[in-house]
Amino acid sequence: MRQAEHSETRRWLDQHGLTDAESTPLLATRLAVRRRAKLAGDVLLAAFLIGAALTHTLSRLTDAAYSWLSLLLLTALVVGLLVAQWLLRQWVRRVDRRAGAQLPRRVAHPVGFGWSAVLGRPYAVFTVAAYTGALALAVSVLPVSDPVLRAGAAVVLIGLTGAGAGIVMQLRQVLTSPAVAEDEASLTADVIMRVEDARALVMPSLVWSLPAIFLYGESLGWWNAVAIGLVVAGVVAFGLIQTRAAAVGATARQAMIVR
Amino acid sequence: MIVIDAASPTPPYEQLRAQLAKQIQDRSLAVGTRLPTVRRLAADLGLAVNTVGRAYRELEEAGLIETRGRAGSFVTAAGDQALEQAHRAARDYATIIARSGIDPAEAIRIVQAALGHPATP
Repeated sequence: MRQAEHSETRRWLDQHGLTDAESTPLLATRLAVRRRAKLAGDVLLAAFLIGAALTHTLSRLTDAAYSWLSLLLLTALVVGLLVAQWLLRQWVRRVDRRAGAQLPRRVAHPVGFGWSAVLGRPYAVFTVAAYTGALALAVSVLPVSDPVLRAGAAVVLIGLTGAGAGIVMQLRQVLTSPAVAEDEASLTADVIMRVEDARALVMPSLVWSLPAIFLYGESLGWWNAVAIGLVVAGVVAFGLIQTRAAAVGATARQAMIVR
Repeated sequence: MIVIDAASPTPPYEQLRAQLAKQIQDRSLAVGTRLPTVRRLAADLGLAVNTVGRAYRELEEAGLIETRGRAGSFVTAAGDQALEQAHRAARDYATIIARSGIDPAEAIRIVQAALGHPATP
């Protein structure tokens, strides 16, 4: 194990109250792959937003109305994002599986974890509310007579539907992926990683950015104010949940106690 | 928590069966608790599906768990009943020992032999 990885693992363990746990190669490997996957996921999301914005802008410059080609391109971008996110998750699972296969001793819980124990109800309610709000905004803009605005709303709907499906798919993977642990400390760390993975998944980056970027037509309207309002309300609600909800380590320990 | 040690001379299915049985009997796993699916537990513990399936079958035969179709496997109340039955049998055994005048240390050695455990000095 490299010194940098050891230090990162030690810092992560201390941050989650596992001060007595040792920084093992198993934990270092699992945390390192998650860090890389997170970085790649952020780059992917940025690439998707840039690609979608470029397609949107080019369509506005070249055509008065949105062409079917632009919508096809945007759908391809959404599918590409979902496939890439799924591949990233598979990569993390593969590394976890390989690390687990090398352990001479394996431990697990005799009772499985449900979504409410891992994600927590406040985060689940927030995610559903954020998606519903953004979807309702996009749908309510569709009857407006501005073709560019309607096309933007279609982009938001395609993007949100795809991202929502992606979250459900990946959350299922997080909940059903096998535990990789050799003792009680690494089992607690396994649950903490699960909670972190689930909370990172529901971070509403697309929900906040898509309406704010794409709901622009020939002129400004109530929809722009609502789009910004949704972001502001979302940031405040997310901040409140993060400060008031139990820390990741405490949530993981609570989930283990009730097992 | 279930621990499976690949280096242990006890076969993995027996390690799993014994730990689940103990947790059911000491009520760490409450009556009605739903156990993970065979596939899920096999993946968690790095075991073959058949190995976990065998442990579950033996627990089911002992009446400690029951499988309700696709709903999964659940801890039954039989664990409590078995414990109560053991207590009753122990009380009966203690009465017989006292009546026949057998030394208590010898009585414990008899039980240990019956359980297949070596007698402690």
